[in-house]
Amino acid sequence: MQNILVSLNEATRTVNSGSNKVTLLDNINFNVEEGEFISLMGPSGSGKSTLLNCIGMLDNFTGGGYTFLGEPVHSMKEKNRSKLYKEYIGFVFQAYHLIDELTVYENIETPLLYKNVKSSERKAMVADMLDRFNIVGKKDLFPIQLSGGQQQLVGIARALIGQPKLILADEPTGNLNSKQSEEIMELFAQLNKEGVTIIQATHSESNAAYGSRIINLLDGKIV
Amino acid sequence: MLKNYFKIAFRNLIKNKVYSFINISGLAVGMAATIMIGLWVTDELNFNNHFKDKGSIAQVFQSQTMNANVNTSPAVPRPLEFALRQDHTDNFKHIVMSSWEQPRYLKFGETNIYITGNAMQEGATAMLDLDIISGVKDGLKEKNSIMLSESAAKSLFGNETALGKIVKVNNEDDLIVSSVYKDIPTNNSFSDMEYIIPWKHYVTTQPWLELSKDAWGNNSFQLFVQINENTTMDVVTSKISDVKKNASSETAQFNPQLFLLPMKDWYLRSEFENGVQSGGRIENVWLFGIIGLFILLLACINFVNLSTARSEKRATEVGIRKSIGSQRSQLIFQFLSESFLIVFLSFIVALGLVLLFLNGFNNLASKAIVFPWENLQFWLISLAFVIITAFLAGSYPAIYLSSFNPVAVLKGTFKSGRYSSLPRKILVVAQFTVSVALIIGTLVVMNQIQFSKDRPVGYDKEGLIQIPVMSNEFIGKKDVMRNQFIASGGALEMTGTSGPMTNVWSNRSGYTWDGKPADFQEDLAYTSVSYEFVETLGLKVTAGRGFSREFASDSNAVLLNETAVKYMGLIDPIGKFIRDSDTEDPSPPLKIVGVVEDMIIQSPYSPVKQAMYVFDSEDNTAFYNVRLNPEKSTSENLALIEGVFKKNFPNTPFDYQFVDEEYGAKFESEERVASLARVFTVLAIFISCLGLFGLASFVAEQRTKEIGVRKVLGASISQLWLLLSKDFITLVVIALLIASPLAYYIMGQWLQKFSYRTTVSWDVFAIACFGALIITLIIVSFQAIKAATSNPVKALRTE
Repeated sequence: MQNILVSLNEATRTVNSGSNKVTLLDNINFNVEEGEFISLMGPSGSGKSTLLNCIGMLDNFTGGGYTFLGEPVHSMKEKNRSKLYKEYIGFVFQAYHLIDELTVYENIETPLLYKNVKSSERKAMVADMLDRFNIVGKKDLFPIQLSGGQQQLVGIARALIGQPKLILADEPTGNLNSKQSEEIMELFAQLNKEGVTIIQATHSESNAAYGSRIINLLDGKIV
Repeated sequence: MLKNYFKIAFRNLIKNKVYSFINISGLAVGMAATIMIGLWVTDELNFNNHFKDKGSIAQVFQSQTMNANVNTSPAVPRPLEFALRQDHTDNFKHIVMSSWEQPRYLKFGETNIYITGNAMQEGATAMLDLDIISGVKDGLKEKNSIMLSESAAKSLFGNETALGKIVKVNNEDDLIVSSVYKDIPTNNSFSDMEYIIPWKHYVTTQPWLELSKDAWGNNSFQLFVQINENTTMDVVTSKISDVKKNASSETAQFNPQLFLLPMKDWYLRSEFENGVQSGGRIENVWLFGIIGLFILLLACINFVNLSTARSEKRATEVGIRKSIGSQRSQLIFQFLSESFLIVFLSFIVALGLVLLFLNGFNNLASKAIVFPWENLQFWLISLAFVIITAFLAGSYPAIYLSSFNPVAVLKGTFKSGRYSSLPRKILVVAQFTVSVALIIGTLVVMNQIQFSKDRPVGYDKEGLIQIPVMSNEFIGKKDVMRNQFIASGGALEMTGTSGPMTNVWSNRSGYTWDGKPADFQEDLAYTSVSYEFVETLGLKVTAGRGFSREFASDSNAVLLNETAVKYMGLIDPIGKFIRDSDTEDPSPPLKIVGVVEDMIIQSPYSPVKQAMYVFDSEDNTAFYNVRLNPEKSTSENLALIEGVFKKNFPNTPFDYQFVDEEYGAKFESEERVASLARVFTVLAIFISCLGLFGLASFVAEQRTKEIGVRKVLGASISQLWLLLSKDFITLVVIALLIASPLAYYIMGQWLQKFSYRTTVSWDVFAIACFGALIITLIIVSFQAIKAATSNPVKALRTE
């Protein structure tokens, strides 16, 4: 009954560093089913972020196959790929990466602009999201006026606004204290219960424990 | 979406005040300059647009060859009119003979005015489509009529009706006002034509005019035509070019070629070189058009440089936007809309600047440009201008900024590459190249003007006035007036001349002399002058003597200038004769009594023309040249002279000009170019410096950490200053190396058009280079020292 959302088949990512070819991801094979909450673990440089970026289509595998919802991403054109991830994928970053010049409200709204959602609809959706995350009172503040935890909350709200099937979170609590971390992880667990598939990269055992499955990476390989 | 873009753009503007200020003020100044130049160029190109038949009206010009020199001039002989009417009339809608524009005294009751106008044939009213306010449309039909411009009628009759009143012209002729026409607006030919008298009246006023009827050699008139609709200027020109040559064997030796100069060329393309149209004011139109474009480019370069320099700051935003679904094209559009916003704001400021400085600009350019509020075309062009500028300034930054890889910028590993600042460096070099070239160009123009002004004129033009005495009432009064002027104490000396001392009114040929080469075609500037010519003007006699009352034979004497002696190949000229080559009815031979130093009468940039100053035995006086008494003030002298004048000619207004001012007017066009060039050079420097300031502050900011580290390691402030400044100095030095030979070449070419010219000397380059370096140092050092003296701990903590 579960749909396969992401399917990696011997996916490889190499870069050229000077005259050396460096393999960042080496023959990765795994499937992600809808509704899963996967934690990627591994030391720094093991390839967690690269894997997330490649799955999120910000970066590309250099070899192997990548299928998203049955569609072969590896042979897609840039434009279709961008359409696909705009529709189905939301990103959460360690450093939040909110746009400093935009208010909380506008930051959350921006992905909808890129999806050409109508103004009235946008308003309703952003209002819902603010409500849900309890940040209505902060909607006119700029990122710099918020604490780290609040900023990340906005970051998650922004990732969710497009109603993605998959959330990719790269060390989402890396810049937060333990209490804030816990809140954010609780939120992820809650979202996952509501049906959102999540892949997170993390160093922390306790964070990883929120996930339904843990994948360990070392030197670009699943171990 | 667009709203979102503008919002971000606006917040960015407010957040980065210095950057915004530099961008907007630079662009605004650049755009204001471009708008003003645009208005000026439009005004120049619209010259004569008042005339609805601009396309079919022309003036007949002729080129004649003398000693292999082709001279082109609008002066034509009278019989040409009859020939055209007889054999070529089907080409023309109108054929209109005209005198030169000439001032006359117009008197009604006690009111006496001195205004300029023409004598013209009847077709003029229809050809020029004069806007008749009152009276008949055909106001030149009756021989004893006169047409007045609205302003002339107003000054003569006040609010009374002018029509039917009798005006006394030059205290001789009574002419009846037949109609009043609306003044022809400035920026048009004939705009100072305040009256028109009928040609048929004019030709009866003086004997020489009567005689000119069959004189093909007497080129003393103008001929305007309007061609028929079914033909073209070129076709008509080809039909009439040989009319004079075929009609008159005596002038055929000069190969007179007639041609039509269309009205649209009168103002902009009226210069000829060897019989070929060679340009004119259109060159200045091009010159300033290009300068305007360059200034706009300089301002756009600032925008490009500052936007790309700040790219690291914008990189994160680009990364985020890409990661949440923005396509590259959407980012390009976003950055373009940002530059559009900035350009639009700059345009508003620029309009304000234009309104503020339009008056000053008009004075500088001697124009009467009005801001075209109601001109739809202006606003459409402005819109296009804003959009084009936005693209010019915004497209490179948009493409560059939108190209960032989101993974790299979001990871924080993004660093602009080693060569990412190369385009910026090239653009800075381009900016300073243009600025320095403009500085050098302006200095050369100013040098050339000063050089020509310092040229000895050959006579003492200070303290000399000329009083025009062209009407018949002055005939025979010359000596009386001279004595009274001197007796009044207001004048030291006076001489009468048949033309002004600042122009040649007559050129003659048809002489022989001993040793004249057989096929020599002489062409001499001719002025008839009275006694005391040498004394009044302060001429230096290099051989022989001036005219003297002690020699009765001086009534047939002539003075030559030194150039004429060389030109005619005379050795020991004193006592030799210049004879009339007409053997049937010769004028008496002229005896050369003296040689005077060359005096500049025509262009101060050209060699002095060979000239003969013939003793005036027939009283052809057009001007009294009066040497003022240096022991009294100018106003005292003028009061005394006016008193004498009024006593003798109570009905004639006293009019005079200072000869040195008339001479100074010869520099007007070049001085205008110089002062405009000066203004635009200053603007170009200002814009370039703004950009440099912005870049320097950016670099100082970017290298804060480096400076901190170096300081901790023991670098001194002067070492840091050198570190930060030397890159910019290098760029400016490169610009100097490019600009100097470029400017040297271009200005060398420009100087070619003056035969009396200065050289492009090394000190011009020294001043320009030194100036550019000093300015650069000041601007860069300001930022460098600020960065170098900041606390290193603070700098390092920013990480």
